[in-house]
Amino acid sequence: MEDELNNIVESAKQKVAAVTSRAGFETVKAEITGPNGALTKVMKNMGSIAKEDRPTFGKLINQAKTTIQGFYDDALGAIEQAELAARIGPAIDPSLPSPNDPLGSQHPLTKVREEICSIFKQIGFTVTEGTEVETEYYCFDALNTPADHPARDLQDTFYLPSDAQFGNVSKKADERYLLRTHTSSVQIRTMLKEKPPLRIISPGRCFRRDTVDATHSANFHQIEGLYIDEDVTVRDLKAVLDYFFERLLGKGTTTRFRPHFFPYTEPSFEVDFSSSHLAKLGSDWVEIAGCGMVEPAVLESVGVDQEKHSGFAFGMGIERIAMILYGIDDIRYFYQNDARFLSQFA
Amino acid sequence: MKVSLKWLKRYVDLDESPKELAASLTLLGFEVDDMETTGVPPLENVVVGEVLQRDQHPDADKLGVCRVDCGPKIGEKSIVCGASNYKVGDRVPVALPGAELPGGFKIKESKLRGVPSAGMMCGASEIGASGDNSGLLILDGRPELGTPINQVLTDSDTVFNLEVTPNRPDCLSHIGIARELAAWYRRDVKYPKINNVPAKSDCANGEGLFRGLTVDAPEDCPLYIASVIKGVKVGPSPKWLQEALSSIGLRPINNVVDVTNFVMHECGNPMHAFDARDIEGGKIIVRNAGEGEVMNTLDGEERKLSSRMAVIADESKALAVAGVMGGQNSEVKKDTTDLVLEVAYFKPSTIRWVSKTLALSTDSSYRFERGVDPLSLRYATERAVSLILETAGGELCSNGVTAGSEPAWQTEVEITPEWIRKKSGFEITDEEIREALELLDMSISVDGEGVWTVSIPSYRGDLYRPVDLLEEVLRIFGTDKIPGGQVRATATTANDSPITEFNRKTASYLIGQNFAETVTYTLRSAGEQKRWAGHVSAEELALLNPISEDQTQLRHSLLPGMLEVLHLNQSRKTGANRFFETGRVFRELNGKVVEMVAVAFLECNGGTGRSWKERSFDDFYAAKQRIKTIAGYAGIDLDKFKIREVSDNEGAWQEGHSAAYEEPKAGFFARVGLMSLPRVKEMDIQGEVFGGIFCYLPERLREPKRIKFKPFSLYPASSRDLALVVDKSEPAEEVVRAMCKIASKATRDFEVEDVSVFDVYEGVGVAEDKKSVAVSMTFRALDRTLKDKEVNAAFDTIQNQVRENSPYSIRD
Repeated sequence: MEDELNNIVESAKQKVAAVTSRAGFETVKAEITGPNGALTKVMKNMGSIAKEDRPTFGKLINQAKTTIQGFYDDALGAIEQAELAARIGPAIDPSLPSPNDPLGSQHPLTKVREEICSIFKQIGFTVTEGTEVETEYYCFDALNTPADHPARDLQDTFYLPSDAQFGNVSKKADERYLLRTHTSSVQIRTMLKEKPPLRIISPGRCFRRDTVDATHSANFHQIEGLYIDEDVTVRDLKAVLDYFFERLLGKGTTTRFRPHFFPYTEPSFEVDFSSSHLAKLGSDWVEIAGCGMVEPAVLESVGVDQEKHSGFAFGMGIERIAMILYGIDDIRYFYQNDARFLSQFA
Repeated sequence: MKVSLKWLKRYVDLDESPKELAASLTLLGFEVDDMETTGVPPLENVVVGEVLQRDQHPDADKLGVCRVDCGPKIGEKSIVCGASNYKVGDRVPVALPGAELPGGFKIKESKLRGVPSAGMMCGASEIGASGDNSGLLILDGRPELGTPINQVLTDSDTVFNLEVTPNRPDCLSHIGIARELAAWYRRDVKYPKINNVPAKSDCANGEGLFRGLTVDAPEDCPLYIASVIKGVKVGPSPKWLQEALSSIGLRPINNVVDVTNFVMHECGNPMHAFDARDIEGGKIIVRNAGEGEVMNTLDGEERKLSSRMAVIADESKALAVAGVMGGQNSEVKKDTTDLVLEVAYFKPSTIRWVSKTLALSTDSSYRFERGVDPLSLRYATERAVSLILETAGGELCSNGVTAGSEPAWQTEVEITPEWIRKKSGFEITDEEIREALELLDMSISVDGEGVWTVSIPSYRGDLYRPVDLLEEVLRIFGTDKIPGGQVRATATTANDSPITEFNRKTASYLIGQNFAETVTYTLRSAGEQKRWAGHVSAEELALLNPISEDQTQLRHSLLPGMLEVLHLNQSRKTGANRFFETGRVFRELNGKVVEMVAVAFLECNGGTGRSWKERSFDDFYAAKQRIKTIAGYAGIDLDKFKIREVSDNEGAWQEGHSAAYEEPKAGFFARVGLMSLPRVKEMDIQGEVFGGIFCYLPERLREPKRIKFKPFSLYPASSRDLALVVDKSEPAEEVVRAMCKIASKATRDFEVEDVSVFDVYEGVGVAEDKKSVAVSMTFRALDRTLKDKEVNAAFDTIQNQVRENSPYSIRD
């Protein structure tokens, strides 16, 4: 009896060990512990065993069952592992490169624009958007630009045909539509729509009838700032721009104002900066922005109460700032979008 | 504008270096575009010396050791020299230790091959002089020993190219700039003295030389002064005059013309000299041109005039286009003896229009169109007459026949020093304010209440309000000294524009999906628009005045530009194949062109080179998902709108593989899918391109709503599947929509959580014009576990409804 059990266990060990699949396992399992299995047969013979031997025999059978169950568990474990392994395939070579999947990237003009906006946001300026198609009134008249100012020439500004109809760009009267030459038009629309105090910046695309070269582009981007409040001073303007340029161009950046002329500000200044950080530029003054106190005629045209309110405005070119910040020497790179250029700003 | 330093020095003392002057001009508001120094620049420690003795250098054949006498103050120096063109007794420029030569070379005591050398004897080019460069510069005329070299070689000049802003026509002259520098350095202006020449009484009338002046266009020409000079001898100008004109790039012509040019660049008054012989009838008439009247201007061009232009004419013909250019018929010639000199004031807007219309901008028109000092004409006339008499001889026949009169000029501006300080925001004393204004020729009278009445000089037409004076005060105070300070940053309640926020979210999503952002041109060609959007009318998006043929249209889409970017990257083998852009596009919507905010993306599966492993690419459904996500950022749930197939005439998209959402009423549209294979192939792009574009009206965008939590069920769901036989052309979305409706009606006290398509089948077992769409419906109750019984009841109702009230049948 005992020998028979030992034989069954021994043969179970070999048969189970040889199993490689779940189906094979089930067949082998049936041969041993199935209804007609070898061990089941022995157990069925329990009746023919002498009563006094039964406890010993039962014990032996239980031992055999436990041992065989151990074989089953091992085999099932091995099969499951093999199945999982089959699902994931052979081992990988971790040193192989990831398939060519260039990273997404933010365009440098967007990157600079966002940086500028976030610096201004910290001192309470929020972003306002304007349209690229504008009318002569909002782009020139309301900004105190004389009717025969050269900037209005067909030579310098893109116009739309006189019968053009724009559904979502409002006209003042019957003036012409044009592509805005600066973001300053947003000043006008904002002042007409909202009451002071105002603190906005407005980035956006502008157009001038320039032939493309290394520093000119028929379309380019500007960022405009407007601050209207009570008792605004020239010094406030300087303080805001000092703060901004030091944040943008790094500690140790200094700025200076230089008298200039714009029709929409009085006094008007150009802003130069000097920063030893920006290697290429050395310590010379470099022109970076235009600014001034909002011209009384402009405030008049939008109905701001000048007894109470005054303010300043400033504007700068985003391409120019990006070129200075990153040391880019040709404006056309921005519009070519070669991935070897774009990915440098990812 | 070109300004010569040597010329400026006639009117103001300037000892500063050109570099320093350039810095001052810049801070005065005159940007120096460039500057060029000719001749010997100011040099320190370079003096006249004489070679007393020359010995051979002991160790170098080519070097001499010289004893050089530099005058009693400096004494004798021993200098090693390599030149050979000099002899003992020659006087030469000697650079002593401490000198810095042009180009930055600094002179120090040194040893040359062991022999000490206390300076350097200089050649012409070494000190910036012109002349023979083969050795030392041998000075002519034996100048005094020890004399600074600049006193011997005085041809030095620096020409500044200045940017004069349009508000400062008074600075379009040397005196104008000298006035500014004089104010900056607190110096006096030395106006040229005029030798008053008495006119011979009435010789003009007496001899019939000049019979009269009539201005028939007084609005265009309020003031005209004609001076008659008889008996001039036309010839070359004196050297000083030729040099002055040459220095600022003008070609000397003859003494008379040169004087008119000189005085224009000195005082800012354009003027013109006529040969009196050519003035028929001896009468000058300022009148409007006849429509189509023709005359030949001095530049040799035939000009066709219009009646809006004024001309200077005689009884029969036009002699000059007023304020712009003289005519060939009356110019001063070699044999001219009698002149009529015109000094006038022309209306700026007229001259601007004429100059623009004739495409003819001259030094004269440039000044008139910006505005000449209206009170300056008499002075300029006297200055020019006296210089003509000085350089060309002759005699003045009348003191100037005048038509019109000088406009009354009295501009006064009232300010208070407190107001200036209030606007400046920093401390600036009464005295500083007063000084600045007075330095600029303004006079101030103060009343009992402390109000300052400031009189403005006639050449400053740009100053008429208090803010204008604020600028002047700051300019003379020094705009570089404006202090900074604390930013006044009170809290604001505004948010960034929803458009900005939308662009940020979209960009951040697409960058996260490995798309590279592009920025492409707004202006596109008509051909491109026609190819890509044949349905958009070309005229609607055309510019009036494009700059070139490939940039005539406003872009209707971002995608063609982005495909060019893809092509560029494929041809340069950069490996990049996923791009996106956000920007404005222009479309017709509800009958009018509108500017829309747009986002587009594209992905290409070709042209990226080989890799050991392919990665997966977009298909239509991936692209559709992106468009849905992007629309979601604009607050638009695309699932709520009808999707339709794109037809072949919308050039950009491949029929059968792309789709559109179009909701003019909701202010948006979207296109998504496979980009037109022929279009893409035309562009030489390898592979297929999946893309999408979403455009919306910016004014429809709102700030996003605050999110509100919706409770969800914690109980298990039940689901039932149903295969429906539907027309082949029926969009799956319609099936889902219909089933949602039916299912919702069939369930009363629990929810239809989801109806989704899990299988689409066409073929055996389904009629040829039909397809099978299998949907799975998920039910759930908020408050309990659903019983099979109630779900089954609902499912039965649904099936009955499909059979009885829908165009679908149930597949067994």
